[in-house]
Amino acid sequence: MVTSLATTMTALVSPGLDLEFSFSQALQGLGLSPDVAHLLWLPLPMLLVLVAAVVGVLVTVWLERKISAAVQQRIGPEYAGALGVLQPLADGLKLLVKEDIIPARADSVLFTLGPVLVVVPVILSWLIVPFGQNLLVSNVGVGIFLWISLSSIQPIGLLMSGYASNNKYSLLGGLRAAAQSISYEIPLALAVLAVVMMSNSLSTIDIVDQQTGAGLLSWNIWRQPVGFLIFWICALAECERLPFDLPEAEEELVAGYQTEYAGMKFALFYLGSYINLVLSALLVSVLYLGGWGFPIPVEWLAGWMGQSVDAPLVQVITGTVGIVMTVLKAYLLVFFAILLRWTTPRVRIDQLLNLGWKFLLPLALVNLLVTAALKLAFPVAFGG
Amino acid sequence: MFGFLKQVGDYTRDAVDAARNLTQGLAVTFDHMQRRPVTVQYPYEKLIPSERYRGRIHYEFDKCIACEVCVRVCPINLPVVDWVMNKQTKKKELRNYSIDFGVCIFCGNCVEYCPTNCLSMTEEYELAAFDRHSLNFDNVALGRLPTSVTTDASVQPLRELAYLPVGEMDPHGVAADRPRAGQLPDQVLASMPKSAADGGESSSTTTKEENAG
Repeated sequence: MVTSLATTMTALVSPGLDLEFSFSQALQGLGLSPDVAHLLWLPLPMLLVLVAAVVGVLVTVWLERKISAAVQQRIGPEYAGALGVLQPLADGLKLLVKEDIIPARADSVLFTLGPVLVVVPVILSWLIVPFGQNLLVSNVGVGIFLWISLSSIQPIGLLMSGYASNNKYSLLGGLRAAAQSISYEIPLALAVLAVVMMSNSLSTIDIVDQQTGAGLLSWNIWRQPVGFLIFWICALAECERLPFDLPEAEEELVAGYQTEYAGMKFALFYLGSYINLVLSALLVSVLYLGGWGFPIPVEWLAGWMGQSVDAPLVQVITGTVGIVMTVLKAYLLVFFAILLRWTTPRVRIDQLLNLGWKFLLPLALVNLLVTAALKLAFPVAFGG
Repeated sequence: MFGFLKQVGDYTRDAVDAARNLTQGLAVTFDHMQRRPVTVQYPYEKLIPSERYRGRIHYEFDKCIACEVCVRVCPINLPVVDWVMNKQTKKKELRNYSIDFGVCIFCGNCVEYCPTNCLSMTEEYELAAFDRHSLNFDNVALGRLPTSVTTDASVQPLRELAYLPVGEMDPHGVAADRPRAGQLPDQVLASMPKSAADGGESSSTTTKEENAG
């Protein structure tokens, strides 16, 4: 919170909306001390992000089912609410009231801890997802690195639940999940490193700020096309989306590490995987597609219309456009992931590891080196 | 050195090929998204089975002469023909007849070979049961006629693709009296000049129709 305020003060670009500042001003006007105002402010963004994540998952599940149906020339959910929009809610409600089963021969502590360890890091990673200049829970200095390290906790949870289930399919699924996560984390981190090198910062806010100069043209995807592809492939692998969904390959492993899970524990896995997908899509849009930036910079538009960027109305519109743009970009990527699900066949485990270690890793390394060289050669274009 | 370069080149070409194939696949799935769904909302809508649909077998007890041809042509000798020889009349007396539809593969051989046409195929395909023994139909159950999809008031009958009028792709909302695409054999025959219709083709058709009747 303090850091976000500090960046606002020091930022040279337009400060944008600062809801926390306005909130604490209003409360101090009511006679509360700044500390109490800060304390009252703290839970609000957290709650908002939690709600946003869950709603995002519901929308994604609905989209997944509807788009899958459209691709296969079916109708998809139709009766629960208009166009079946309440179907994911009904599914969630069903899982909520289902019996919570822990198999007799399973390790009950690890069995319970597994799904928690999978979900918590994913939700925690939403800490660093920016929807606008000040619209994020916390502008952590090590932002994107925090996400990479948090996502490394996930395979531990998967392995834990796979092992604790005392089931061969679960164990195999858990092992595959761990192997997959570990091998795809390295090219992922290297792709991120190239972006970080160009923006001279790990903070997601700074990474987006560095892409806002000339709208669409300044997005990182033009300077990092290879990095974008590597990141997207690795993100799909981390989310266990279809070309890489071996850990839960239903034809061979029943449901992988989720086999023995039912009720709310299964719902946690389900929630976790979809939150992870939305999070990955959001991060791709932050790292490569200009985050909350409109294809034409909002400052230019305001200038053309003769409005000051600091005018309250313009600030509100800018903030709204920022949120809409971030969500729109993320959901475009989610749509692409769903389409990819019905296009590509599942890879074998050896193909998966070959792709990760023999293709993506060298490519990511070369990409990093080329970025470094370009940064030295053209410091203007590559953030010298 | 050149061997290594060739390897790198081949590898790159493979990667580019893979990317191109992936884009092609994506184009296909993306294109499919714009097509209309082919869903038939089953319990409320049902497709009209085609004329030669091989559904549950219908059996007329009174026509049967207990010749057991159906048993001989059946791949697994499924029909059970329970008869006794009447010593006085020196004729077979049929007592029971049953076919187990849990085992039947609906090949239609029995229907094909039955000399008295007491067996026939119906369009009934909803044979789900809670107990597999209830699929063993006796002569009474075999003698029941199925409810037709077209006469069932609670069901909206839909025509299959081949039975739709020319240009129609969606069976929903197509008027029942609009004729199907193409002509039936007898319509083709009627439209042919008289001399051609007198050939061998027509005679074979009529004999078939006589057989069926």
